[in-house]
Amino acid sequence: MSTGMSQITTWLRDPNPTSRRQARLGQAFMAWLRMRRNPLAMVGLAIVAVLLVMAAFAPWLAPHDPITQDLSNRLLPPLTPGHLLGTDDFGRDILSRILYGSRITLFIIGLVAVTAPVFGLLVGTVAGYFGGWTDEILMRITDIFLAFPKLILALALVAVLGPGMENAILAIALTSWPPYARVARAETLTVRTSDYIAAVRLQGAGPARIILGHVMPMCLPSVIIRVTLDMAGVILIAAGLGFLGLGVQPPLPEWGAMISAGRKYLFEQWWVATMPGLAIFIVSLGFNLLGDGLRDVLDPRSAGR
Amino acid sequence: MALIEIDNLSVTFLSKGHRVLAVKDVSLAVEARESFGLVGESGSGKSTILRAICGLAPVSGGAIRIDGQPLDRGAGKGFARRVQMVFQDPYASLHPRHTIDRTLSEPLAIHGIGDTDARVMRALDDVGLPRSFRFRFPHQLSGGQRQRVAIARALMLEPEILLLDEPTSALDASVQAETLNLLNRLRAERGLTFLMVSHDLAVIDHMCDRILVMQHGQAVEELTRDQLAGAQMKTDYARSLFAASADRMLAG
Amino acid sequence: MSLLSVKNLRVSFDTEAGLVEAVRGVSFELGRERLGIVGESGSGKTMTGRAVLRLIRPPGRIEADRMAFDGQDLMRATEREMRALRGPRIAMVMQDPKYSLNPVMKVGAQLMEGLRQRDRLSRMEAHDKAIAALEAVQIRDPGRVMEAYPHELSGGMGQRVMIAMMLIPNPDLLIADEPTSALDVTVQAEVLAILDGLVRNRGMGLIFISHDLRLVARFCDRVLVMYKGKVVEELAAQDLMQAKHPYTQGLLNCLPRIGGPRQPLPGLDRNADWAV
Repeated sequence: MSTGMSQITTWLRDPNPTSRRQARLGQAFMAWLRMRRNPLAMVGLAIVAVLLVMAAFAPWLAPHDPITQDLSNRLLPPLTPGHLLGTDDFGRDILSRILYGSRITLFIIGLVAVTAPVFGLLVGTVAGYFGGWTDEILMRITDIFLAFPKLILALALVAVLGPGMENAILAIALTSWPPYARVARAETLTVRTSDYIAAVRLQGAGPARIILGHVMPMCLPSVIIRVTLDMAGVILIAAGLGFLGLGVQPPLPEWGAMISAGRKYLFEQWWVATMPGLAIFIVSLGFNLLGDGLRDVLDPRSAGR
Repeated sequence: MALIEIDNLSVTFLSKGHRVLAVKDVSLAVEARESFGLVGESGSGKSTILRAICGLAPVSGGAIRIDGQPLDRGAGKGFARRVQMVFQDPYASLHPRHTIDRTLSEPLAIHGIGDTDARVMRALDDVGLPRSFRFRFPHQLSGGQRQRVAIARALMLEPEILLLDEPTSALDASVQAETLNLLNRLRAERGLTFLMVSHDLAVIDHMCDRILVMQHGQAVEELTRDQLAGAQMKTDYARSLFAASADRMLAG
Repeated sequence: MSLLSVKNLRVSFDTEAGLVEAVRGVSFELGRERLGIVGESGSGKTMTGRAVLRLIRPPGRIEADRMAFDGQDLMRATEREMRALRGPRIAMVMQDPKYSLNPVMKVGAQLMEGLRQRDRLSRMEAHDKAIAALEAVQIRDPGRVMEAYPHELSGGMGQRVMIAMMLIPNPDLLIADEPTSALDVTVQAEVLAILDGLVRNRGMGLIFISHDLRLVARFCDRVLVMYKGKVVEELAAQDLMQAKHPYTQGLLNCLPRIGGPRQPLPGLDRNADWAV
């Protein structure tokens, strides 16, 4: 077993990889070793991993059904036998609702994370690479989106599109791409004058090839870091929309909506609102720590060596 | 007819609202299979001339002709197969996130040339790099090895003209010797035409048949190799450059 | 007694790729003389210079059997004592003045900062001393340079300012790490002549670190040749042409010469016994 492991690490550390795949995996392994030196980043990674496990195994982990009401057991305090985190005003087990709620949170995060950064990256690199009028137009549009507070813009969009999870995701994605465009453009401006871009232009490469193959890989780390740092904000906006009743609709166990429902009992039955609040806090913290750690690992300036 | 002809070339940059004349009325002609050197100190405009040929610097006057044909703006695919460039800093001229394999196969992909594996292997052999380096990243190589990769990349499209922008000034002396030897061997084997820029008179002398001394964006004096060796320069500037050149310092 | 004494100096870095030894047992004695350390990149010459000032950051580690400056044990000195040495007693000039001068502060203010804070001089006195220091490095209009920002100076001018700044507290030892490599050849000669004159007149010790063997030989009394963290040869500068070690000979022969023969330049045999 241990010889097998050491064989794999030697293969990964091999300074003369024999295939593209080995070279890539070796790079990732070195990044992982760098990451492992940062204990806070590992805490963040652990939190995110726990969130993933919770979402994947919610039906097996949850002691109760998250939606079935049981009015005889309403507002039980935490540590009641059978209800570790207590129950809410409809007698639903809060732990089970948080576990199932992680699925919704992860779904929102996942969809936002694949749409907004990709769009922002495209806008930013194109604007930065071409400069001139293209840059002016794309960046002024970005500025218009940036000028509105995120939550207000999301609220307006949901108000127009109607409440619901899909519309909430769409609204969040539409409001969160501009920062990625900014980051990608800034990165592109430093990259586009570099010798390696001049070299590939000299070989006759067209703009699409240069942007996709040569500029984007250099912007990707900053954008990925920015995404993980923003995930906390996305969770909060989703929770905010849920809290205002414009996001995920009852009886689905979305964390923000759960806080909203617990608001009425905040003084007598504090746990109803506090438990989902803690969940939001911990997951946001996890993404923030992970993002900070990734900054050290992925930043081309520190990893270039 | 010369292979590279430059007539009264001027290059003007716009920097913070000021117009900066980087190259002023420079003319030169390089015959096929010749090795021509541009020498001067920083700010003399020598590198700007190379960049202007490649369309990387804004030409404000004069003409550049390759094989009698004027250059239309920007370097197209046809141009890429005739003229390639090796940059000064091998740490900046290779994409830090591409493997050597990707760097070398990119020009083939752009021009739709097949047979990638064999060509990449042959290119590594030609510049004296072990084949095991193929999937390394640039940061895993030394400066001299990177510059070999950059030379291999420039030769992937089998151009006839190689523009060399201070190709060894970022390298150690012993590595410089190896790189210069490699360039001379490749030139002899492939009948390449070199247009080389350097601040080091001794390097230029070792590599080039004819030399143009530049200062403040202008041509100062053109010298043949024999004239340089015999210290037969006419202008004071060329003489002071000659006197300050590193290998004179030990004797002086 | 010698000014600086170094015995079996080792500098190592613990990286994720394993332990890297940058300096592997370097020993030398330095009086009030000019010592050159020559080597190619990765030879450990810069690390040797920095280790003397204990300017190596973790994960780097410095070990030595003995490292003493003017009788003071540098290995045992506290960080506070080291700070009292750096600058006033041991000064360092780096390769590129662009990165050593504060870009948002006028040159004059940077020159006067130390004088005002360390030596508690009045504004006028500090100003006069700074002007004198600039004149010492043969800057013709010191008044204008005092009012300039670093980016307004040429490379040669910037390096002269750096030298002036380092020499203001009258240090006993100057460590110059490739002080002229970023400069044009004609400027290089001027700056070296200025540095040489100052070091001679003040009777300072000098460690001159460079990749250029011929330059060092012309400029120093004694030369240490380093390769892969070890000193391979130590010789008096005038005996350079009689160097015994194949690496030193290789370094001398691999440079092209004006009017030299057009055959391939001799390279180094990197597989020889000494190279491993």
